Amino acid sequence: MPAPTSGASDAAKPFDIVATYNELLRSDPDLTMPIAAIEALVLLLTHSPSSTISETLDLLEKSTAHLKQSIPNPIGLSAGTDLFQRYLITTLQRPGQLGPAGDFNAIRAHLLSNGRLFIRRAKESRDKIAAFGRGFVRDGSTVLTNGGSRVVASLLQKAADEKGGPSAVRFRVIYVLSSAKHDVDSSGEPEGMQMVRALRAKGVPVATIPESAVAYAMGKADIVIVGAEGVVENGGIVSRMGTYQIGLLAKAMDKPFYCVAESHKFVRIYPLGQYDLPIEQRVIDFKTEEEVADEAKQQQAATPAVRPVNSADSSDVVDFTPPHLISALITDSGVLTPSAVSEELIKIWF
Amino acid sequence: MGQLLSGLWGVWQAGRAAAYGIIAGVAVSQPASRRATPTTSEKVANAPLSVVAFNSSIATPTPTSSSSSSSTATTPSTTTTTTTMPSQPQPSQGTTTPSAAPSTSAPSTSTSTSASKPAKQQSSKQAPKPKDNASSAPAGSSDSAALTPAELKKKAKAEKAARRARERADREQPGAAGGAPGTPSAKKGAAGPGAGGKDSAATTGAQQQQQKGQKQAPRRGSAQLSGQPSAAEVKKKQEEKNVSVFGHLYGQQRRTTVAGAGKEVHPAVLALGLQMRDYVVCGSSARCVATLLAFKRVIEAYTTPLGTSLARHLTTHLSHQITYLSTCRPLSISQGNAIRALKLAIASIDPSVPEADAKATLSDFIDSFIREKITVADQVIAGSAAQKIQDGDVVVTFAGSSIVKQTLLTAHKQGKKFRVSIIDSRPLFEGKNLARTLATAGLDVQYSLMNGISHAIKDATKVFLGAHAMTSNGRLYSRVGTALVAMSAKERAGGVEVPVIVCCETVKFTDRVALDSIVVNEIADADELVIAEPVQQLTGLPDPAAPAVELKKGKAAPPPVEPSTASQNMSSPLKDWKDSANLQLLNIMYDVTPAEYVDMVVTEMGSLPPSAVPIVHRMSTNL
Repeated sequence: MPAPTSGASDAAKPFDIVATYNELLRSDPDLTMPIAAIEALVLLLTHSPSSTISETLDLLEKSTAHLKQSIPNPIGLSAGTDLFQRYLITTLQRPGQLGPAGDFNAIRAHLLSNGRLFIRRAKESRDKIAAFGRGFVRDGSTVLTNGGSRVVASLLQKAADEKGGPSAVRFRVIYVLSSAKHDVDSSGEPEGMQMVRALRAKGVPVATIPESAVAYAMGKADIVIVGAEGVVENGGIVSRMGTYQIGLLAKAMDKPFYCVAESHKFVRIYPLGQYDLPIEQRVIDFKTEEEVADEAKQQQAATPAVRPVNSADSSDVVDFTPPHLISALITDSGVLTPSAVSEELIKIWF
Repeated sequence: MGQLLSGLWGVWQAGRAAAYGIIAGVAVSQPASRRATPTTSEKVANAPLSVVAFNSSIATPTPTSSSSSSSTATTPSTTTTTTTMPSQPQPSQGTTTPSAAPSTSAPSTSTSTSASKPAKQQSSKQAPKPKDNASSAPAGSSDSAALTPAELKKKAKAEKAARRARERADREQPGAAGGAPGTPSAKKGAAGPGAGGKDSAATTGAQQQQQKGQKQAPRRGSAQLSGQPSAAEVKKKQEEKNVSVFGHLYGQQRRTTVAGAGKEVHPAVLALGLQMRDYVVCGSSARCVATLLAFKRVIEAYTTPLGTSLARHLTTHLSHQITYLSTCRPLSISQGNAIRALKLAIASIDPSVPEADAKATLSDFIDSFIREKITVADQVIAGSAAQKIQDGDVVVTFAGSSIVKQTLLTAHKQGKKFRVSIIDSRPLFEGKNLARTLATAGLDVQYSLMNGISHAIKDATKVFLGAHAMTSNGRLYSRVGTALVAMSAKERAGGVEVPVIVCCETVKFTDRVALDSIVVNEIADADELVIAEPVQQLTGLPDPAAPAVELKKGKAAPPPVEPSTASQNMSSPLKDWKDSANLQLLNIMYDVTPAEYVDMVVTEMGSLPPSAVPIVHRMSTNL
């Protein structure tokens, strides 16, 4: 893809990592958060004139911390930054020309080129996943899905593409659309509508239902496929709000519940439950009439710029689906059981 | 839940089997009672054990009620057929029977010679019989029903007196060649008729006897000549007190003194062995560290003998120490892992390296092993586990894990406001020290025993557990009771939100697999359960709470409390448990918690789900 370096104005004196990250996400709708983070870090390295290894690592650490603080939900992002940092360290520790003894400029050039290679591979992983997951969409089945996951979209489209081909798969999709008002994109329609249109264009019958009808519709579905923002260490997933309840319902009705995620979304956190996520979410907000009135007054006084940060009901809210609800994770390194995730993570980290 | 339950069910089932075994065994000896009529009390010293046999047989039809007859000799140990078989042959060796013996005056010696004939007679046409005593059991029990209650009582009394006398005799001449043969052989004789047959029709028991004689040749010889049988006797008696499902775990009695320890064993190791035995050094990590430090001293004091190399000889030298330690208390998983690492380090020493250098290398290795695998690992674990504690939490923990203690103290130092609820259990009461330490540090602590688990778990928000080991199927092997705590947390109404967190160093990981807590476990001295706390008693009545004290025995066996003995010794109603035939105590050390009950394992390599244990174990051992 065209490197959006132009967005991060060349040779600008202070390189703004947060702006770069947001710009990257905006400019390429196909970009996931971890990849955007890695790309931003690579750009940071190209711009910064660091000359020693420790300086590089220090710079990286500071920018990562800064980036994490400025983003309301840094779970997906931290998967990318952690991975990049880990990758750098292992590369630097490796003996040989590129190790600590080698020429730093060579190391730097190597890092940057490898970083780009990594990004390219990560983007290709979506196709790989689609190839792995295609077999899960059987002929005549009905798939229930939600959210605006790009991986799920590519998987379903891949399956739909084969319609009429030798391995024709006829399937239907029940699409759970977020009913919340805020979940609308620039065009004024709920997130995921684009995918619904794309699927319909390919001749796949799609039904859209509100979140409240999931239990009602579950009986008609054969499998559930969802995307994820991050896959955590115990094999559970952090995903957009509403995924957990779909998981619970699918479990209750014995429907297979698959999660589609790239392996760069594996993140090294271990939530014990919904309220143990390392982010602050004000989903449950108890209020009395008095407090509501107070808040309304404050809101009038406050500048509109402050608002979006506090808003409890932004589209960023996530929940945690524990591993026992997940049948399998379809990733670019294969179809994994939830317990295999920790194995993959340990392989990366040790 | 299901798995735990099935495990418990297994225990219960097995306990039932044990109870049946006892009943069957007793029943076999029954017919003897017909013949025997104890006459004088003098005889007691002479053929006391025959009496024992009778009474035990009497007890068979109603094993629950008339349990006062103990018959340690005849109740053939534990399981139904297999273990009783060895005891059966003894009759045919026939040393004495009551009917033959009455005239004998010298109690200890005379029995063995005169007795063989009657024994033969009784063993009679039953050559195949002893093989399947289980089949004879019903018949036996029906016979014994003929006795009147008065007879029963009398026999019970006589039997008890006999037993006491025998015990006294045993004590007075421990292991003496003269004294020992008398009693055991008498015992054998007593067992003889019972096993021999239901009717006394005399046929040739000789064939059978020969067979048996071959098998048991050494014992028979010794019965007549030396004090050896007393050892066998003691062993047999012990076996009867073993809970049969766990029979494979009893093995050797724990060492009580340093006497008999090999001269190669270093004094530091000698001391450590006794400390471990007495639970002075207790806990997986503590034992591991103590062992390594003792071995460090062993290595420092070691000089390679001429003609060998350090790498070759030191390993065998160490294995003497290890053998000694394992006789004091079975080695923990962590000890095993540490020893394995140490042996590997020894084996990889180049023979050309001077001895002093090699010893220094090994000392350094031990130091760094302790530091890396335990000291620093504990700090890392405490740090990351403490992150999981939040303000307002109620943390439940079980017994006294050092790593959990460290975690809680770390969290407290970080200024978190939380309560701790410690669940403790008999007989070790490991939670007491933890409670005191935490309370001294300023935490809010609630201490309760296992009995109060349902209350303690009610307001719990997190459960922290220590580990003895983590097995490769993700199960937690820890102090007995842990599984119950984990289950209470997870099966509690709405318990999904009560995470069970295990803190465990990777040195405690093992590649073994545990399906239940029966196959691999450790049995401690059952007497630990008997010792009652010295209760401050104001009234003259016996403490009503004492009898209720965790009577952990084979679960299906009926409550065999004897009112008479209970009132006799106020200290503990279980004091004489070894003398009552159908009472077994089980003091098990560990249990296995299913992986489903564990949400997270905190190790020094990060937090893992239990399923990741084998991967991490592989990695940490390959490093």
